[in-house]
Amino acid sequence: MNQWEVFVMDMSELAEGKDLEISIRTLNPGKQKYTYKHVRAQVSSTLDKFPDQLQVRMGRGQLSQAKFSIKVIEEIRRLPPQYS
Amino acid sequence: MSKISAPRSNREFIEACVKAGDAVRIKQEVDWENEAGAIVRRACELGAAAPFMEKIKDYPGFSYFGAPLSTYRRMAISLGMDPASSLPEIGKEYLKRTNSEPIAPVLVDRKDAPCKENILMGADVDLCKLPVPLVHDGDGGRYVGTWHAVVTKHPVRGDVNWGMYRQMMFDGRTMSGAVFPFSDLGKQLSEYYLPRGLSCPFATAIGLSPLAAMAACAPSPIPEPELVGMLSGEPARLVKCETNDLEVPADAEIIIEGEICPDYKVEEGPFGEYTGYRTSPRDFRVTFRVNCITYRNNATMTISNMGVPQDEGQLLRSFSLGLELEKLLRSQGIPVTGVYMHPRSTHHMMIVGVKPAYTGIAQQIAQLAFGSKLGPWFHMVMVVDDQTDIYNWDEVYHAFCTRCHPENGIHIYRNTTGTPLYPFATPHERKYSIGSKVLFDCLWPVDWDKTNDVPTLVSFKNVYPKDIQERVLANWESYGYPQVK
Repeated sequence: MNQWEVFVMDMSELAEGKDLEISIRTLNPGKQKYTYKHVRAQVSSTLDKFPDQLQVRMGRGQLSQAKFSIKVIEEIRRLPPQYS
Repeated sequence: MSKISAPRSNREFIEACVKAGDAVRIKQEVDWENEAGAIVRRACELGAAAPFMEKIKDYPGFSYFGAPLSTYRRMAISLGMDPASSLPEIGKEYLKRTNSEPIAPVLVDRKDAPCKENILMGADVDLCKLPVPLVHDGDGGRYVGTWHAVVTKHPVRGDVNWGMYRQMMFDGRTMSGAVFPFSDLGKQLSEYYLPRGLSCPFATAIGLSPLAAMAACAPSPIPEPELVGMLSGEPARLVKCETNDLEVPADAEIIIEGEICPDYKVEEGPFGEYTGYRTSPRDFRVTFRVNCITYRNNATMTISNMGVPQDEGQLLRSFSLGLELEKLLRSQGIPVTGVYMHPRSTHHMMIVGVKPAYTGIAQQIAQLAFGSKLGPWFHMVMVVDDQTDIYNWDEVYHAFCTRCHPENGIHIYRNTTGTPLYPFATPHERKYSIGSKVLFDCLWPVDWDKTNDVPTLVSFKNVYPKDIQERVLANWESYGYPQVK
């Protein structure tokens, strides 16, 4: 199980039941902790619905009490090829 | 100029601070995740010695140096002065050196550049190999650049700019940062690179000599490599980058080379800011793609922890903004007695002492200050007369509360340049960097009769004959009072 975190300005950004395009950062221990991926994912407030856990922070870093499970469908590579 | 013996590298600076009792060596392991940041924050809030953390969890061989210039003592050490030097003495020395002849930097061979001792290129490039700290819990990411210089060059004019633009690690090869449109880099990007869709080469230098950091932080019109030379009394040692034609401080601890992407942005923030708040929202910001990392053996990463006063951002920016404004006002013939920003104003209030020579002089000062390149960094100007000690907040506050006419002495300037970091700004103002400014004119009006209209200041120094003052001072301890230091 992976642990992820997302920053939102409003909880409505985490709509359930549809594909979301969001930047999430890993909370798994290690040197990569807090690095980001931009992904297509689904989230659910049912914590055992999806394999990974998602923690939420608001726009100024406040930790939300809300918890979600998350399924990362794919990583989205937005980086233009000239920078790869 | 007499020989200056200022620390020439971050390492020499740490040694000098330890020797003076202004840095402590922390031998036990410190976690890069929050713990190091918390130590630095507490040191800032206590005005304590700078922490030199020699053992970092997960990163053997690296160390941290926190709060490098968050006290005037360490600022004096950085200039090669007695740590006990007073603020006016430090300011006078800064003005003397920065009004001297520019000293051009020298380019050294890469074999003489310690920053080239380790080089990561291609697939080896990974910011996670550096001990990038999570400075505050709840920050949007680990911040690579908190006390550093982002080096760029205008491709046509050749202007070199070193600026302190915060940089967050997004992933192993990407950083994002806040670059205000009115900053030197912001202007360079909007004027040249973005309209052409060209990437802008950059190099981030971390673990600079304290005077190089001071130059990167100072809003001076002098190119930073020359300014470093003027401050230190000898040429700055630079070396060519590995992947672009920029030149970076050869003695820096870590160099990160890459390009600023004109067509790709990732999120940045939130971050604990110099105002003492997390104000600017998370947003898509200027994005830095990393192509190469070089670093010294046993590299030391510098950490500034911004928050409530006082940290080096507040202290140094207050210091340099005030002195640069003093230079500007003097160049315009304004009879100023001094300019000072109290660091605890988080460099938002400029206090100007002036001889009230003519009507409107306070407004002239405010217009010059707000209209200058320095202006976007502060929103309050308070003008007091030449009898008020601008370094003594008690005197300034008394002048403000008693001489500033609520109707005639407060002048508001609307729709000026602002920043998204202003805590008082509305969400709309933050989004569009809309500011407003205020002048507090604490001068007695020139058209008041000096004998009959201007109130008499009732103070020990002002109302007693000199012989009485001398007698009381001479007898003070015999009256039963302790000695006044």
